[in-house]
Amino acid sequence: MKRKLLPLALMAALAGLSACNKEAQGSKAVSADEAVKEANGKTIAAGLSQDSRFLAAAKAAGIDATLAGPGPYTVLVPDDAAFEKMPAGTIEQMMKPESRAELSQLLTYHILPGTVLAADIGKAIDDAEDKKAVLATMGGKTLTFAREGDRIVLSDSAGTKATLAGPDETRSNGVVHHIDAVMMPPKA
Amino acid sequence: MMKWMLAAGAAALAIAAPVTAQRGGGDNDRGQAAKVERGGKSQAKAKRSGGDRQRAQQASRSGQDRQHSARTERASGSRQQAARADRRGSEARRYAATQDRGRRAERAQVQQRGSRDAERARPDRGRVQQADRASRRFEVQDNRTRGRTAARIDARDQARGRDANRVAVVDRDGDVIRVRDFDRNRDVIRVRDFDRGVMRVRDIDRDDIFIRRLGYGVGGCPPGLASKGCLPPGQARKLIGVPITTVAGIAPLAPLPLGFRSLYWDDDDYYYRWGGGYLYRVDRGDALVAAMIPLFGAALIGQPLQPAYYANSYVPPYYNAFYPNSPYDCYRYGFGYVYETDCLTGMVEDVIPTYDYGYGVGQLLPASYGYYNLPYQYRGYFADDDDYYYRYAPGAIYRVDRETALITAVAALLTGGLTVGQPLPTGYSAYNVPLAYRTTYYDTPDAWYRYDNGYIYAVDPRTRMVNNVAYVIV
Repeated sequence: MKRKLLPLALMAALAGLSACNKEAQGSKAVSADEAVKEANGKTIAAGLSQDSRFLAAAKAAGIDATLAGPGPYTVLVPDDAAFEKMPAGTIEQMMKPESRAELSQLLTYHILPGTVLAADIGKAIDDAEDKKAVLATMGGKTLTFAREGDRIVLSDSAGTKATLAGPDETRSNGVVHHIDAVMMPPKA
Repeated sequence: MMKWMLAAGAAALAIAAPVTAQRGGGDNDRGQAAKVERGGKSQAKAKRSGGDRQRAQQASRSGQDRQHSARTERASGSRQQAARADRRGSEARRYAATQDRGRRAERAQVQQRGSRDAERARPDRGRVQQADRASRRFEVQDNRTRGRTAARIDARDQARGRDANRVAVVDRDGDVIRVRDFDRNRDVIRVRDFDRGVMRVRDIDRDDIFIRRLGYGVGGCPPGLASKGCLPPGQARKLIGVPITTVAGIAPLAPLPLGFRSLYWDDDDYYYRWGGGYLYRVDRGDALVAAMIPLFGAALIGQPLQPAYYANSYVPPYYNAFYPNSPYDCYRYGFGYVYETDCLTGMVEDVIPTYDYGYGVGQLLPASYGYYNLPYQYRGYFADDDDYYYRYAPGAIYRVDRETALITAVAALLTGGLTVGQPLPTGYSAYNVPLAYRTTYYDTPDAWYRYDNGYIYAVDPRTRMVNNVAYVIV
């Protein structure tokens, strides 16, 4: 009798687990919808200023579709003023077809995998022994984040610094942080 | 019908440059020459562009004339590569033309090609010397129990007693076959020319692989290398501002393939040529190179891989799923390229450029990406349709126009990836799980969670080892 009951009990347990699993997946689907709702359904691409230099550069490199895709990505968007700080003609030169490699490297240096909120960066800085958080970019390079007073400052390999400005801009496919300088990736 | 279509496809790939000259290229080139005269203001410039006009005139001739011009160019020495391309083009055209004449005619034609291949095979080409075996016919049977496709040499070859100890391994892209000759401990590279089930293969040289795998065979330069007429970036930069005729003396130049003309069109100020892995924008006013656009390519194919071209044997973990090492194929990664090498000889067999090294929108997807290869977690997002198809290559998922084979968008960026059982790489110290999953996967003293390429990984905070995939976002 016990032998007959055991398989039945196991089947019932499996059925229960399966139901739990479906519930878990269902709850994730709901929370994904909520995240989209929170972002007003806007993707990163849609949330960027349509006449911004960053979006123009993204279009030139062909990754505007990426920023409208599933992601998720964390995008560090230099403001137009940051581009203007660059040596004259630099970004214009990069936007030419022959400079696509440089432009691609520049842009992927400003995109991180996943959704990293400012609070997540702050916690990573605080947890690190040297109080610096090194984060990987989609281009395979890294950026270093640290605190300077109340601000979170990031720096590239050449030591150029930028500051995270404003609150997290959550989107349906990631988050946008505005920064006040363009980070230059190290040469390969 | 299928045979005809495949032959036509192969011909189209192989004769890209000549076709360019023949159709739009021919007319366009004449037009360009006219434009040079019109915009060039002087006969001297017209003389400088005479080579182009000459090519255009050649393009309007018959195939035999083109062959002749190819031979002439070959004799010039400095244009060997162009001549080879033309020669291949002529062969491909002849091959296509004879497809409908039945098996006997085809066999005879292949034999003829085999002998031509043998004639042109150079002693330093190693495996290519076996081109005289081009006429052999293989029946390939799918041997699933062995996990790979095995080839059985037909009765004629077995009767010769020379090929009994051979196994053909079909590359993952399915159109290039590497036949392992155990007796001689080397491989023969063959190309599948026909249908599933029984297929015909023929020996090819590495230039043919070059053409097949890279569409138009545009030769880009991996960092620091000059070979096969390919210009290393440092040298190439020095060419800006020099006469285009000087460049033509270094690398064979040709009008742009059709696929590029919607992106780089000639106008009253500039015209374009490509060669040596670069596209050149030429100022009509002074016939000087105004700008250079690097093109992706595989100039290293057939050359030994120098240690300077890759950092070490490390390949980003995520690439391993697509480029797995085997006893025959060893993959190396460095400076934006994945190198497929022959483990025994160290010779480069394929070079796969990555996204942020300039490989992207407006460029041709290599022909070897003929199959849907997206990581599973992305397949729900990017499905092929009537207008576009999607392919993964290191660093990105590309959207490709079916008609032109040009990359029209980067659908997604991918990192080098995480691997279960390996230490968490530098750069993942911050929590980065997508918002929708944070209520389930949040960091605790016992487990961290990190997102990468569609996966949420569980990490042991003490050892910093990636323990398992906690969730697949689909």
